[in-house]
Amino acid sequence: MTVLKTSLRNFVAHKGRMALSAIAVLLSVAFVCGTLVFTDTTNATFDKLFASTASDVSVSPKGVSDKDTRQGRVRTLPGSELAQLKRIDGVKSVTGDATSQSVTVVNSKGDSIGPSSGAPTVGTNWDTTEHRSVKITSGHSPRGPTEVMVDADTADTKKLKLGDSLRIIAVPGEFRAKIVGIATFQVTNPGATLVYMDTATAQRKLLGKPGVYSNYALTAQPGVSNDQLKKSVVAELGTGVKVQTKAEASKEAESDIGSFLDVMKYAMLGFAGIAVLVGIFLIVNTFSMLVAQRTREIGLMRAIGSSRKQINRSVLLEALLLGIVGSILGVLGGVGLAVGLMKIMGNAGLHLSTDQLTVKPATPIVGLTIGIVVTVIAAYIPARRAGKISPMAALRDAGTPADTKAGRIRGAIGTLLTAGGAAALVVAGNADKAVDGSMFLGLGVVLTLIGFIVIGPLLAGLVVRALATVVLRMFGPVGRLAERNALRNPRRTGATGAALMIGLALVACLSVVGSSMVASASDELDKSVGADFIIQSDTGQPITQQIEQATHRAKGLTHVSDRKEIEGAKITLPDGRTATEDLAAADPTYADDLRTPVVSGDLAAAYGKDAMSVPEGFAKKHKVKEGDTLTVAFKEGRTAKLKVAAITADDTSLDKGALYTNITTVERYVPANLIPADIMLLAQAKDGQEAVAYKSLKAELHLYPSVKVRDQTDYKKEMKNQIGQLLNLVYGLLALAIIVAILGVVNTLALSVVERTREIGLMRAIGLSRRQMRRMIRLESVVIALFGALLGLGLGMGWGATAQKLLALEGLKTLEIPWPTIITVFIGSAVVGLIAALIPAFRAARMNILNAIATD
Amino acid sequence: MTTAVSIPKTGGSGGHTAVAARARQVVKAYGSGETRVVALDHVDVDIARGRFTAIMGPSGSGKSTLMHCLAGLDTVSSGQIFIDETEITGLKDKKLTQLRRDRVGFIFQAFNLLPTLNAIENITLPMDIAGRKPDRAWLDRVVQTVGLADRLKHRPNQLSGGQQQRVAVARALAARPEIIFGDEPTGNLDSRAGAEVLGFLKRSVDELGQTIVMVTHDPVAASYADRVLYLADGRIVDEMHSPTAELVLERMKSFDARGRVS
Repeated sequence: MTVLKTSLRNFVAHKGRMALSAIAVLLSVAFVCGTLVFTDTTNATFDKLFASTASDVSVSPKGVSDKDTRQGRVRTLPGSELAQLKRIDGVKSVTGDATSQSVTVVNSKGDSIGPSSGAPTVGTNWDTTEHRSVKITSGHSPRGPTEVMVDADTADTKKLKLGDSLRIIAVPGEFRAKIVGIATFQVTNPGATLVYMDTATAQRKLLGKPGVYSNYALTAQPGVSNDQLKKSVVAELGTGVKVQTKAEASKEAESDIGSFLDVMKYAMLGFAGIAVLVGIFLIVNTFSMLVAQRTREIGLMRAIGSSRKQINRSVLLEALLLGIVGSILGVLGGVGLAVGLMKIMGNAGLHLSTDQLTVKPATPIVGLTIGIVVTVIAAYIPARRAGKISPMAALRDAGTPADTKAGRIRGAIGTLLTAGGAAALVVAGNADKAVDGSMFLGLGVVLTLIGFIVIGPLLAGLVVRALATVVLRMFGPVGRLAERNALRNPRRTGATGAALMIGLALVACLSVVGSSMVASASDELDKSVGADFIIQSDTGQPITQQIEQATHRAKGLTHVSDRKEIEGAKITLPDGRTATEDLAAADPTYADDLRTPVVSGDLAAAYGKDAMSVPEGFAKKHKVKEGDTLTVAFKEGRTAKLKVAAITADDTSLDKGALYTNITTVERYVPANLIPADIMLLAQAKDGQEAVAYKSLKAELHLYPSVKVRDQTDYKKEMKNQIGQLLNLVYGLLALAIIVAILGVVNTLALSVVERTREIGLMRAIGLSRRQMRRMIRLESVVIALFGALLGLGLGMGWGATAQKLLALEGLKTLEIPWPTIITVFIGSAVVGLIAALIPAFRAARMNILNAIATD
Repeated sequence: MTTAVSIPKTGGSGGHTAVAARARQVVKAYGSGETRVVALDHVDVDIARGRFTAIMGPSGSGKSTLMHCLAGLDTVSSGQIFIDETEITGLKDKKLTQLRRDRVGFIFQAFNLLPTLNAIENITLPMDIAGRKPDRAWLDRVVQTVGLADRLKHRPNQLSGGQQQRVAVARALAARPEIIFGDEPTGNLDSRAGAEVLGFLKRSVDELGQTIVMVTHDPVAASYADRVLYLADGRIVDEMHSPTAELVLERMKSFDARGRVS
């Protein structure tokens, strides 16, 4: 009982000193809970959307695939089934849908009104009978070939109103129409753009044929289960179509979204985990310092008969209290964070409603468990140390026990781990196979990280002294005092710096890999891309006939090469086994536009009649030699016998692993209407006419905002931007861990100031000015931050360079160290050190001298 | 003694000796209204230059407060304090800090040294902070005087209590301040180590011409001084020149007795 009381009193008495630790727990737990709440809410939103839009039973063509949109393939049902379906027992109603996602809708200025978030633009027929999820809120339903209706969210964000004219670009062709109605979703629409037209228009303009449908939606009569109805439908239509119940359709749709959300969830939880790890350092430091400051008190407790266990337990109890308080606040913070995240995502185009905020019981349980367990574990070592304090300590003059012994064993273990990690990294860098290499890379990263953490206190001594000679000596005696202070407790400095090291190491590693990716791709682009222009869709829309024609109309071009992807060709190999691969069908000029190196044969020959090329890896795996003939069964066509005319090298990053063949070859085996649209066009300008051609291409393709024309410079820039954005996202997530580490620096300084109250009083008494006092603490802070930064950046660059060396096998051939980023981070760390010291320095400078000297 | 004036302005003993520090009608009070406690009650005092002055009095007499106010470590409620001809009452923190750094030396009862600096670094710290080069010859002489020549590279935790206080004395002397204040500088030492430190203080006054003011409650310590001031209830109630331990003790006893009857 008394143990609990002492713990409680201590906790309350030192709540200021606990505040930063509590914030660290809070932040980590909030991030975990926020992630869970956000993904649960997103899932719930999609569940509701699918539940409200899916029909009891749906009928769709077989073979529908994700790639259809990109390949401009419109799969339809002939329309004759409608009457058949209506006759089935148990059917209440049937509607035919004419829906396509291969649609780009453009406003009068020529800009796409589609979502920028990656959500689809959906063109569909408006059927008055069966629309539970959408309501017309303004205007009327579309009638005739020149009227459309759009959804309210899109009208809102893209500033569309009744009477506006739109251009709708679909696979069969394009047409113009006026907005006559606006429809509002009755459930949350997370971001798709919807354009409605009447059924006849949708059939002709979107699906390309009057009377056809993309799918049918059936409603069951009361008392008829969806499964029963499905059975009846299958009995009626046979197995030539895909029949799904509502549950099956929803599940399929959810699994697509769900897997994306899972990736996001685990990525974010991973970053939360890093923050938790960093928070541990902060908590360890806090409790170590509290125990050190309380040595006399603990000695007294021991002297009057408290057992080691009791002392140990009382410290752990305090940690438990801290964990509980921090975690509860963290769970609440997590809900707030999720709401904030939903707002941010709203701006990015993923609309979620707070009405559907989903907090599952698991969320607070997970949050509290993590927060409490981590805090108690982190406090365990300091608690044990507290238990070991001898009763004699009560009599000793308090002061702070010197903790200069970093320990030889510790140094040996740390050095061993680091050396082992370094060896693993060397092995990884020289690995022949990426798979083995990545295992060693992982091992090396973990070992060097742990090694650095373990020898942190030893490194602190070295690095701080080195930094001191470079930086601190400029500041004279104040600098020297700061240096000594940073060195007086290497374990503490080491732990504080290590916390910062973790986040910065990841930043450095990723920035090295990212910039190496850009540099490698740029080099490769310079080396192997002969094409001047690349025409591609960033939104996954097909390159339609019209776009292809427009490209050909451009002036100043020598040629335009088409590049298609032929899905799922079944290849029978020489040894009789089969492999299913996608073929890259292109024009022969493509070999000029993208000069893929060959290990044997001639790439141009692969574009000959009934010829193809295979990549090196494929050839090795399946024992295919140049000159072999492969039997290729096209998924939507006949079977061909193709001769392997070239084997391409694998160490490339563009079109890696492509099996090339000529489009004309494919055309002989696959019916013209089943050949997919181009996924990319490459074009070459006549000598000296590059500028003219570029301008002309832009002008011709201006009408088609779904595709982008890029010359090599644009392409490099785009690539750099994309990788830059990805890196920024990751840096943003790592910011959490770095913020916790900065709190750690503040915490260490704040507690040091408390611990050194008497010294501060003494220094002020003998003439250290307030300004000098502040500077001394700021310098100490800067040195700790720079120590962490130096370790982190060094470690991270090592990891990054190893990863690059390993991935050189996969085309990441150029190592580029992003010095501007590295230097910015280093200088930024110094600034962070300054900021972290603001409050502690202010407090130290303001201390009353006499009170300070008189403190115990 | 309601006015609490104990010495004439021109100095008691020497007459021609200049004044290193003086207090005029200094009041120091804590709190207000009914809880008001007066620590110093209109104190006038002159500290003679080149002399060793001890301030004595029972606990709560205000002796430490007086010293802190004279040294510019504490502010006064009213009245004036001068170090030499500089009025320090009303000075801003910056000027006060400079004054302490350049013109005043301190020796505290305990915890005088920075644990991160070795002995010589501690000794030269005030000059380092001020950005001044120590006077080598003088520094050597001070170090010799306090007998620390072979301990200069030691950290405070490697020194005994007496050695630590000697380092503190050396630090106070090294910068050649106009005046040194000691707050029970031997309070934590055994009698032998205490005697050593007091001997150094006395020698620095006699041989080096230093001015020292020391607060103490130990009659033996006070006997090293040239002059002893007695404080009671925030007022200076008596003084004694060329004291001996017996005389001081005697005088203290009489105050105690008086305090009890009144």
